Amino acid sequence: MKPLPAALVTGPPLLAAIAAWSPLWLAAAAIGAALLLAAAPPPRRLYAVTAIGSGLVVFVINPFVSVQGLTVLWQGPHIPILDTQITVEEVAYGAGAGMRVAASALAVAAFVRLADPDLLLRAFSRVAPRSAMIAALATRMLPALERDAAGIVTAARTRAARLSKPRTAAGLLGPLLASSLERSLSVAEAMEARGYGSPARTRAPERATAGREWALAGLGGCALALVVAALIGGVTDFRYYDTLGDPWQPAAMAGAGLLLALLGTAAAVVRWPR
Amino acid sequence: MAALSFERVSYAYPGAGRPALAGIDLEIEPGQLVLLVGGSGSGKSTLLRAALGLVPHFHGGELRGRVRVAGLDTREHRPGALARQVGLVFQDPESQLVMGRPDREAAFGLENLGYPAGEIAVRAREALAAVGAAGLAGRPAAALSGGEAQRVAIASVLAMGQPILLLDEPTSQLDPVAAEELLGLVVRINRDRGVTVVLAEHRTGRLFAEADRVIAMEDGRLTVDAAPPVAARALATSAQWMLPPVTQAFARAGRAELPLTVRAARALITAPPRAPTTPLPAADAAVGVARAHKRLGDVDALAGTSTAFERGRVTALIGENGAGKTTLARAVCGLLDLDRGRVEPVPARAGYVGQDPAHYLLHDTARDEVAYALRNLGVPGRERDRRVDEALARLGLAAFGDRHPRDLSSGERQRLAIAAVTVMEPELLVLDEPTRGVDGLRKLALVELARSLAADGAAVVVVTHDMDFAAEAADSVTSMAAGRVLSDRAPRTLLASGIFFVSQLGLALGRASQADAVAFLTEPLEAAHV
Repeated sequence: MKPLPAALVTGPPLLAAIAAWSPLWLAAAAIGAALLLAAAPPPRRLYAVTAIGSGLVVFVINPFVSVQGLTVLWQGPHIPILDTQITVEEVAYGAGAGMRVAASALAVAAFVRLADPDLLLRAFSRVAPRSAMIAALATRMLPALERDAAGIVTAARTRAARLSKPRTAAGLLGPLLASSLERSLSVAEAMEARGYGSPARTRAPERATAGREWALAGLGGCALALVVAALIGGVTDFRYYDTLGDPWQPAAMAGAGLLLALLGTAAAVVRWPR
Repeated sequence: MAALSFERVSYAYPGAGRPALAGIDLEIEPGQLVLLVGGSGSGKSTLLRAALGLVPHFHGGELRGRVRVAGLDTREHRPGALARQVGLVFQDPESQLVMGRPDREAAFGLENLGYPAGEIAVRAREALAAVGAAGLAGRPAAALSGGEAQRVAIASVLAMGQPILLLDEPTSQLDPVAAEELLGLVVRINRDRGVTVVLAEHRTGRLFAEADRVIAMEDGRLTVDAAPPVAARALATSAQWMLPPVTQAFARAGRAELPLTVRAARALITAPPRAPTTPLPAADAAVGVARAHKRLGDVDALAGTSTAFERGRVTALIGENGAGKTTLARAVCGLLDLDRGRVEPVPARAGYVGQDPAHYLLHDTARDEVAYALRNLGVPGRERDRRVDEALARLGLAAFGDRHPRDLSSGERQRLAIAAVTVMEPELLVLDEPTRGVDGLRKLALVELARSLAADGAAVVVVTHDMDFAAEAADSVTSMAAGRVLSDRAPRTLLASGIFFVSQLGLALGRASQADAVAFLTEPLEAAHV
């Protein structure tokens, strides 16, 4: 997909994830971004696991590091540094923050998988060649990571490693990163060897924008307008402390529902058979 | 004006103890075809990088002396500017593909050089067609096999049409037919268009005689720089393993003539009698597959394959790119589940050394790397240390035990990966393309290793495109095409009688291996040759 429609359709959930407070809006952004990622071409699993895992970590940690809220849910033993008085507000804030992190990561992942990295590189290589090179390397890094991971796992299995042990599996992460960095260095060298960064760069003729891309741009534009309007109108606001506000405000419910419907439709358009 | 000139060039990579290039003086005239030979780590790749300014602009380090490309000093011109004059095909194709599709890959360099949009598509298409990759144009780059990626990488440089072309082991992942075609194309480009070509290769058989000059390197220095016949004489006394197999055989046989080509060798002998084909005695199968099917993506990688690999024997598994060799190898090692069919018998312990040795580098020292499998198997400390020492020594790595594996050269990494697997003393050992980036001397060591492991009772399988290596290492040959076995466990004399999948000695003398060829050349004169 061309980068612009991909940016238009993944931008609204990212913006909502960054700027909204309402749990309904955050949930709509997270679910919508997840739907878009699920509709995008593989590989997807590594992105999804990383995004959702990061969100869960934030959700779990927040009640133990935050000392706010009035509605006590559980009082644990005294442990230095940690707050063991868990309040409903801390849990709710943690859930909101977790959704914020997960939604942001899912939206970025959906963009990475939806946008054609070659076209992205072409689009930015004349105006910002270094940034475009870094973006190109980054978009290739995760698929390359997945291939390297498969190779490293195979190599470890043939050496009698029991990968069901978490410690053994975790021990493969460092070498995986090292392999990925070595590969990135080689790609950067190959780019430079073929004249990358030249000011006289031209572009090969590309195909016209497809009907599906126009449709996605339209849906993304509507979603973006909705999020901006909701942010300006205060529909996405929410109070977590000292006591929780009421999330079930009609405007918040309607807005979040509409955002989810737009993003769900966009995901269906992405998946629609060619 | 010289196409390339090196004046007293010395260079060391950042933090390296010794220079990668030491006092290089070299001038290459426009239109020359130069073959660059030498061992792993001798400085060939660094020399090619210096000719494009990647050394020192990309890698850093200290460069002394001057390198000029068509008169342009590489100190003053960055690789991006030099790319108009010189193109470089790197050793590892998978790490040089920038774009997501082959047609865009071929267009990438043209876009950078500012070609008009209308011309880019035409040139990119022509270059892909020239290397037999036109059919790959719209495929995802990530789905290409090693051989396909190598063709695309070469096409993407050829498309740019620079007057100087540098190639670093361009055929390392190509099957013999594709390698023959590619080298033919390189020679045509040089002869017909006057493009200056410098090509570094370990498999010198096809190009040695075609070159205008042969340059040999050792420890960053030029040791030989002469026309092919003169270079062959010099190397015959100092480094026979750098010579084409047919030349090596004549040198080893003590013959005064040193033919550089199959044709020249044939002119020196009468038509050789066909090598006797002795059926191999029956042996126990360490592993076998029966009616194996495996679909990978849209391709039937295995389509009813049945074969076995026998104990005490080295089997070469050969076939064109995409024939299903690696899939079969992984299936017999238990690393891949079949869709249909079965693996039987199942080896008690199987070891697989894949094509990328970096996948075997998990620890901080080479010693720990080799010990890893034994730790996983619960081998006790003293016994483990002994076996680690043996494995390191067997692969010539005894001095590298405390080095970080990622500080080793590509050839050393390859050997470390083999040590890390063979230390388990597997009943079945598969070496998948073990000669990729490995010089002739190390290939001989690999032959010795494979044969000694087989002598110890293991079934050793080498998946390879290198027919000369297969002829030296293998007892039997299994060839594959389109997921099926074409010839099952044929004697290695198959490699002397094939049409394309044949060793150079097979073509010239009707003998597969050096030992057979030397025996043939030294037998009483009246028997076969003049």
